[in-house]
Amino acid sequence: MYDVIIVGGGPAGVAAGIYTARKKLKTLLMTEEFGGQSIVSDDIQNWIGDAHISGFDLAKKLEAHLRTYSDDVDIKIPEKAVEVKRIGDGLTAMGFEVKTDKNNVYQARAVILASGARRRKLNIPGEDRLNGKGVVYCSTCDAPLFKDKAVAVVGGGNAGLEAVVDLFPYASKIYLLEFGETLKGDQVSQEEVKKNQKVEILFFAETREILGDKFVAGLKYSHRKTGEEKILDVKGVFVEIGSVPNSEMVKGLVALDKYGQVIIDSKHSTTSEPGIFAAGDVTDDPYKQNNISVGDAVKAALAAYNYLLKNK
Amino acid sequence: MEKTIKIYTTSSCVYCKMAKEFFKTNNVQYEEYDVAVDEKARNEMVEKSHQLGVPVIEINGEIFVGFDKSALLKALNIK
Repeated sequence: MYDVIIVGGGPAGVAAGIYTARKKLKTLLMTEEFGGQSIVSDDIQNWIGDAHISGFDLAKKLEAHLRTYSDDVDIKIPEKAVEVKRIGDGLTAMGFEVKTDKNNVYQARAVILASGARRRKLNIPGEDRLNGKGVVYCSTCDAPLFKDKAVAVVGGGNAGLEAVVDLFPYASKIYLLEFGETLKGDQVSQEEVKKNQKVEILFFAETREILGDKFVAGLKYSHRKTGEEKILDVKGVFVEIGSVPNSEMVKGLVALDKYGQVIIDSKHSTTSEPGIFAAGDVTDDPYKQNNISVGDAVKAALAAYNYLLKNK
Repeated sequence: MEKTIKIYTTSSCVYCKMAKEFFKTNNVQYEEYDVAVDEKARNEMVEKSHQLGVPVIEINGEIFVGFDKSALLKALNIK
């Protein structure tokens, strides 16, 4: 049995791993990949200590740092937790069992959840079928493939605005669809987007269906106030509507909020279940930031250490 | 037998970088085509893969979409 199992290899998971290793806790860390969601970012400018760093380089640095503690941390990659269960039925669990997508079952006395979040999908017809065929979830990756084409970006938050900016040099026309009545991203990005001639912003827009046979050929949407349906003649649909927490594996075990985020006490990164700690984008912390994830994960690791000392 | 390996990329795509790094680590020779600037390669990639997203990897005529490490290890007979 391990002392701690850490689920996730983003900034939170790695930070937790380094701290539990330094406390000489026998640790297992499982992740699908290192780096977390910002791995696709071309240029991160707010990671403290680096004025510029790509998500790829950040991922490599995080992994390398953790691997310096490989005597104390077993790293399982790629491996994903699918269910966390309690062992014992007392007030405080005897430990926990983590079942994975490789059908392995690992046991530990404490668990730190740092499983992050994943991209939210539109959940409309055509989206899955045309994924990779004009439906895009990584604008930095695939924007250059839409040279001289009309495209739609769904979502008026920061990610949506960034996708629009990624498309400036390539697309011939960019429709920006926002569900509400205003854009939500940073003022600076909003102004950059609004003054570009290629961009047409559509408010109260609810996406209905992505059309096309082999490739995307159009996007059907309706106006939420008038109910009027329209079809945009686009070859690309860039989906930027936020994220959903990866908390399915603890559903029923720890308290989640209405968005599925793990509710934590931010003082010690504790959850409703003693022995389970959580940090980063899987939690209800309001600021989804790499630096915050790291700090909360350090709290989780130190709190787990104290918990294990008390519950020998 | 020497395998012919092509990778279609864009410069800003992180999974392309991972795939290239994977090839380097395993001493696999590959040809890279940047489809952001190379229009001919872009058309070729779309035609072969029916895919509008990078990376697309071709190993002896077989097409791999995205960076799937275990699929590539299998295709390249790397243990």
